[in-house]
Amino acid sequence: MGAVPQLVVSTILLGGIYALIAVGLTLIFGVMRMVNFAHGEFVMLGMYLTFWAFTLLALDPYAVLVLSLPVFFAMGLLSYHGIMKGVVNASHNVQIFTTVGLSIALQNVALVLWTGDFRFVRTGYYSTVVRLGDTAFNVPQIIAFAVSVAFTAGLFAFMRWSYTGRVMRATAQDRDAAALAGIDTDRVYAHTWSIGIVCVGVAGVLLAPIYPVYPTVGLQFVLIAYVVVVLGGLGDMLGAVLGSLIVAAVEVVGSYVVGTAWKEVLYFLLFIGILVVRPAGLFGQRGAERLGA
Amino acid sequence: MSLAVAGVTKRFGGIVANRDISFEVAPGELVGVIGPNGAGKSTLFEVVSGFYRPDAGEVRLEGTRLTGLSPDHICRLGVARTFQKLRPFQGMTVLQNVMVGALTRTHDVGAAREQARAILERVGLADKAPAFARTLSTGQRKRLELARALATRPRVLLLDEVTGGVDQRSIPGLVRLVRELHEGGLTLMVIEHNMRVITAVAQRIIALYLGEVIADGPPDVVARDRRVVEAYLGQAYA
Amino acid sequence: MTGRALPAVVFFGAVALVPLVVRDAFLLDGLILILLWGSVSAAWNVAGGYAGQVSLGHAGFFGLGAYSAALLSTRWEASPWLGFLVGAVLATAAGLVIGYLSNRLRGPYFVLATIAFSQILLIVASRWRGFTAGSEGIPVPFRPGFWTLGFVDKAVWVYLMLALAVLLYLVQRYLERSRLGYQLGAVREDEDAAQSLGVASRRLKVIAIAVSAALTSLCGGFWAQYVGFVDPFYVFSVDLSVRFALASIIGGMGTALGPFLGSLLITTLEIYLRAHFGGIGAGLVGIYLIIYGCALILVVRFAPQGLVGWLGDRLPRLRTAGAGS
Repeated sequence: MGAVPQLVVSTILLGGIYALIAVGLTLIFGVMRMVNFAHGEFVMLGMYLTFWAFTLLALDPYAVLVLSLPVFFAMGLLSYHGIMKGVVNASHNVQIFTTVGLSIALQNVALVLWTGDFRFVRTGYYSTVVRLGDTAFNVPQIIAFAVSVAFTAGLFAFMRWSYTGRVMRATAQDRDAAALAGIDTDRVYAHTWSIGIVCVGVAGVLLAPIYPVYPTVGLQFVLIAYVVVVLGGLGDMLGAVLGSLIVAAVEVVGSYVVGTAWKEVLYFLLFIGILVVRPAGLFGQRGAERLGA
Repeated sequence: MSLAVAGVTKRFGGIVANRDISFEVAPGELVGVIGPNGAGKSTLFEVVSGFYRPDAGEVRLEGTRLTGLSPDHICRLGVARTFQKLRPFQGMTVLQNVMVGALTRTHDVGAAREQARAILERVGLADKAPAFARTLSTGQRKRLELARALATRPRVLLLDEVTGGVDQRSIPGLVRLVRELHEGGLTLMVIEHNMRVITAVAQRIIALYLGEVIADGPPDVVARDRRVVEAYLGQAYA
Repeated sequence: MTGRALPAVVFFGAVALVPLVVRDAFLLDGLILILLWGSVSAAWNVAGGYAGQVSLGHAGFFGLGAYSAALLSTRWEASPWLGFLVGAVLATAAGLVIGYLSNRLRGPYFVLATIAFSQILLIVASRWRGFTAGSEGIPVPFRPGFWTLGFVDKAVWVYLMLALAVLLYLVQRYLERSRLGYQLGAVREDEDAAQSLGVASRRLKVIAIAVSAALTSLCGGFWAQYVGFVDPFYVFSVDLSVRFALASIIGGMGTALGPFLGSLLITTLEIYLRAHFGGIGAGLVGIYLIIYGCALILVVRFAPQGLVGWLGDRLPRLRTAGAGS
């Protein structure tokens, strides 16, 4: 019984972070019907941004957080107008390979510029542990969780109540109807994409004090993010949040039961299981996977 | 060679696209299917051809139950169809498109090629054989779609919108083609919006409205049916 | 007919002549790799280009082949040819399973399933110390002789790889002209329309994947024997899967010569960059991957028919009209 509270706490903390990454991914799919295979690379860039700011400018990661918002938004706009815009209406294969190409390019730009060495952001409070009853967690984890939750909640509020948010949801439901209603779908896409990138860049900043930073670190996060969004239903933001908790639970409990070496197999099996049994996800629209969209 | 539809109901979420639809088509009949947009005509074809599984009811071809079988199995049993939104194989030539249909009936590629040529001749696309399907005009694509389906040597052919989107001059040719196929003994069900076309070729018309059959009989009778007029033109005209 | 086979005859003919003229081991090595990567890409093309089943998990099949060859050589001292057979059987089984499981999945869902598959194999191979020596990988010992594929003279490998390449070329050409090929092409273009014409698309997709898997694993086996070391993190990686697809995309998906032309371009570039920058620092070697990434983005957008299509537009006599007619 002693282990349970700790497992629960670890699950929630981890789930919060996964949610932030997954929400951006599912948002992009929901509105633009595009699967972004380069998503993990923006996490990686967020982590490197934090590392270099910390190392060269002695900036605390959480100060970098504020800085990262405009930086990643700009990166989003740039990559949208430069690359994604041209393939928004192309076939799935073209979109997939475009983002795969982007992913490879970004990973290797990082590799060439900063080498493959593992980097670490070790702030003063890194190893401070907080104890609450039977559970223990460290400060960066809590902060990451808190900020993720706040950010995700903010995103939900934005989608629900702001004009841009409503326009995005309209486009997600029916892009042709939205265009006919006078909505500038190109702008909607640019914003959606950029917001997705911001989410994931912020997640990277939050993760830098916790995980090692290296060029291919994005891969593990993007695969987890995919399990989450497929579980929750591609395009369903709430599903992404719930899916994050489930995947985090599988990972935490799995590590505890079979050890960290095999836990990844668990969520891949979960992934394949979902794809076979209910590909539209727990909350997605049935049959969505047959349209491939 | 009869197609029997019994009690077919198909729902999508809250919408009932087909509600308890029943009718039988005798061998060699040409049945027109009419109805305003959203009446459930295409859905009915999707159910018959196996792309949708109905929530209730069944479809039989000469006693063989089609419901629950895959679309390709149903085609091999003898039901072919065209699509309302034309779907040619863009990256293949016209001849190759038709060969795909022919290859369902023969394993020999050479024989399939000959059969395909013959069919293209029949629908008037022989000269377009080596052209890529994506270069065809709408009217030509309609003919290609038809040729492809014919290549599978169906017993029942479902045509979804023969003249939709086709220019006026090409319509008589298409109509003539449909009539020739009928005269050759093929059983046909044709969804059509153009009343002049359908009353000219069909011996019998089934009218759908909001998912239900509201009339089923000879063209002149159905055209004057109160419910049909109401459906198309509104109550004031009934 | 001959008009279209001509480029291939020229290509393979030229390759056959090279070892007679060139003796430099480095250059021959490059040629061997061009042929090998071309062959794997051709195997990928069977599923991806011809059947439209784009997979980014083919490294899974490649790795199965590599490990089978390596394990049979090292643990049981069997002939690598037996290893190839075992690998092909395993890969076919895996292909059938994956094909069946992801049968109803389309587009990105299918791609994700294939990635998950290769990642599971990666984790299993890298953790199962007892059987696969875990993350350390397996060195494949060099045993001189024909049946053990222990050749000192690189020229022999060139001809062996040439035979493999020609085999894969012919498999693809068969697909272009056979009933199976026409039906797969229809599935690729529009699966629903294909079904409405009586094409048993679901069964065919599984068959295409299984065949592609077996051929990929065969290449993996040869690769393991040639390179001499099997590292799970490389052999099951997503990067490698992308590389298989890349050569076909650049050369021309769905064409028989495309994968080889693509491989010629990519492998040459890679070897050149490695040779020139390898000494300075591993980091700079990443440059060729940056180029691949950009090339992928540009090719799928602006030249989706790849090199073959591009050349076909400029040299009408070479134009391949998809499936032969």
